[in-house]
Amino acid sequence: MTGETLVRILDGNTFVVSNDTGDIDPSPSVPKGFFSYDTRFLSKWQLKINGEGLNALSVDDLQYFETRFFLVPGAPTHYVDAKVSVIRQRVIGSSFDEQLTVLNHDDKPMDVTVRMEVGNDFADLFEIKNVENKKGDLYIRVEDGALRLGYQRETFRRETVVTASEPATVDEHGLTFTVRIDPQQSWSTSLHVQTIILGAGGRDLRASLQGQHGRAKTQMQEELHKWLDQAPRLETDNAALETTYKRSLVDLAALRYTPLTYGGESVPAAGLPWFMTIFGRDSLFTSLQALPFVPDLAATTLRLLATLQGSKLDDFRDEEPGKILHEMRYGETAAFEEQPHSPYYGTADATMLYVILLDEYERWTGDATLVRQLEPEARWALEWIDEYGDLMGNGYVWFQRRNEKVGLENQCWKDSWDSIAYHDGRLPGFPRATCELQGYAYDAKVRGARLAREFWQDPALADRLERDAADLKERFNRDFWVEDRQFYALALDTEGRQVDSLTSNIGHLLWSGIVTQERAGSVARALMSPRLFSGWGVRTMADGEGRYNPIGYHVGTVWPFDNSFIAWGLRRYGFRAEAGCIAEGMIDAGEFFGGRLPEAFGGYDRSVTKYPVQYPTACSPQAWSTGTPLLLLRTMLGLEPHGEHLVVEPALPVGMGRVGLLDIPGRWGRTDAFGRERVEIAGRSTLRELHGGGPRPIT
Amino acid sequence: MASPTTELFTGIGRRGHEALLEKVQGSLRFDLEHDQQTDHWHLAISRGDVTVTQEDRPADCVVRTDQGLFDKLATGESNAIASLLRNRMTVEGNLRLLVLFERLLPGPPTARHPRPATRGRWRRDR
Repeated sequence: MTGETLVRILDGNTFVVSNDTGDIDPSPSVPKGFFSYDTRFLSKWQLKINGEGLNALSVDDLQYFETRFFLVPGAPTHYVDAKVSVIRQRVIGSSFDEQLTVLNHDDKPMDVTVRMEVGNDFADLFEIKNVENKKGDLYIRVEDGALRLGYQRETFRRETVVTASEPATVDEHGLTFTVRIDPQQSWSTSLHVQTIILGAGGRDLRASLQGQHGRAKTQMQEELHKWLDQAPRLETDNAALETTYKRSLVDLAALRYTPLTYGGESVPAAGLPWFMTIFGRDSLFTSLQALPFVPDLAATTLRLLATLQGSKLDDFRDEEPGKILHEMRYGETAAFEEQPHSPYYGTADATMLYVILLDEYERWTGDATLVRQLEPEARWALEWIDEYGDLMGNGYVWFQRRNEKVGLENQCWKDSWDSIAYHDGRLPGFPRATCELQGYAYDAKVRGARLAREFWQDPALADRLERDAADLKERFNRDFWVEDRQFYALALDTEGRQVDSLTSNIGHLLWSGIVTQERAGSVARALMSPRLFSGWGVRTMADGEGRYNPIGYHVGTVWPFDNSFIAWGLRRYGFRAEAGCIAEGMIDAGEFFGGRLPEAFGGYDRSVTKYPVQYPTACSPQAWSTGTPLLLLRTMLGLEPHGEHLVVEPALPVGMGRVGLLDIPGRWGRTDAFGRERVEIAGRSTLRELHGGGPRPIT
Repeated sequence: MASPTTELFTGIGRRGHEALLEKVQGSLRFDLEHDQQTDHWHLAISRGDVTVTQEDRPADCVVRTDQGLFDKLATGESNAIASLLRNRMTVEGNLRLLVLFERLLPGPPTARHPRPATRGRWRRDR
């Protein structure tokens, strides 16, 4: 990391990453630029006043889609008595717009040369780190008052067009304004950067499609207000909780985007900057987290993923009939099939999570219409589990990529190469059956049975699914249970041997319900043991395992999203204090990030670092981290739909204070939930010594 | 011999009903260019019932490409979404209809079921 301050604004899959003066300059490690649809549309955007760069006095994030920079020319040491200052106000939406204002603070008129250096490499997000070998041709055209930058590879064409509201001298590298500013007066121009993805009839692709109209700033503001108005209102004396709740709702609004393939409705994109696109798993988990707050997100996610459900066998895309997609991309590498994201289906969990979300959505909203509408897709998803998920024909869900060139090795949420390892650090062969996949399969079958019985009038299917689920639970508890260490194995290998690392995956098993009552206590103890629980949250892999590394992406870091589902699972089996402990640790951690939990942070012990160490290349905001405080609120308040009512069973950890959630939407209309701290976390005083003031692991 | 495109569309017309399109309501037109002329295939879909004609009629989704590419889509050698991203094929109107129609296109001829390669090493009844 460079250590420089980066400023990010975003709207769906369009975003800008610049430095704190608003400039975009080439940087190999961090993807700076103006991006849309997985393509960079500006890689250079540098403002100079009389040939000099500028320095930032302050930066205001006005909205998630709008930022204002206050700048002065020259080096930081001699701008004290600057005669000139500059304001850049930037908005993104369907285009990138920058209002540039130069102020003359002198009592004499001033001649100023304002220069914007403009350039672009049209990098695909997948080739940011190495853009030298573009296969197509770049071109630059100076047109009447406009600078047109373009890239063409066969029929594939993208363009950036820069125009200004004031007269400018345009050359191939930028725009120059020569202006005279009267004493104590200012000069201003609007710069407009348009992105073009060439489609039908030589027009922009998005202009030819239904529901792809851009939005103006005022419309975006209105939509944000409406979004915030419709969400439940949080009343609490806990400032950290309040901050993170508000932050989450705004970030979730910012992360919504409208995929090309789906006229007008929006779904959560996964995360800035690398994952501003639809991911099956991330969208499903985020929709589950946000259900009690913004249930519409689940409905659009379910509809969109249904439209793009797999329908055939395709090795390059790891596609099978009934499978829910992993990732959709629009860039050059997807277009030319150098990457398989058109869409890519290499995930073993999304298909089961799809059924789980559909059922959970109905339990909250009572929207039986959608459950009936999506009956075919849900049935295909259930069929996929047995026909294609069960690769070995032994009743478990396995994964093994068929795209051996660029497909994902680990097709579970821990998808880095070394995440699935034995206790001694060795990696198993393929296929692999990770434990949480079996939990999801179990839950999908139980929930699928409810849908079949209550909505699809198919009691035979319901009976079969229930039998399958019971059988799976029994076998799972026999084959995955590590008797001598008293937890569930991370996975099984092809010989049926246990991949015996202790990992956070066992928390998802509690959430799914596949854990037997008598073993739940052992699982909860393992989760809250010092080896897994860092004081902030549960590590992805336990300290002491062969591959453990506190800053290893999936082998030791703490993932907020992971913890929110673990807390939900603990609550499901009655471990209120343990669930509260995780909630408290996460909300405490959020304080260090201004209420915005990152994708992951280091697994260092809380007592050692005192603050959560952000994982170096973590995405932020990231959808399922953004959804984490929401699910934790649900967990702490014990919100559970029961028939036509919402059951509230609060279990707030000490220190959480008073929490009221008003106007929770659902099949009951709107209702309120209140809770007051009650759960005593045992031995808290000793823990403060152990963990530097945070919640303690329960041993 | 009929082209793969003709076989695909006449096959769909003959079947008259597609289980994969049972919720779909709308029309698509494929404008396929070859030898300085354009062939039209018009599909009217109503709850899975599909009527295929070769008329140049308005449609909710208009797809334009060349016959050569479409023949490859019809045999599974090329992929429709990647072709669209590459701008080898263009779409106007309701893209969702094309994405749903894509369900009727075959996968690559070389694709295999994931199971046979790995099956039988460790069975449930070990």
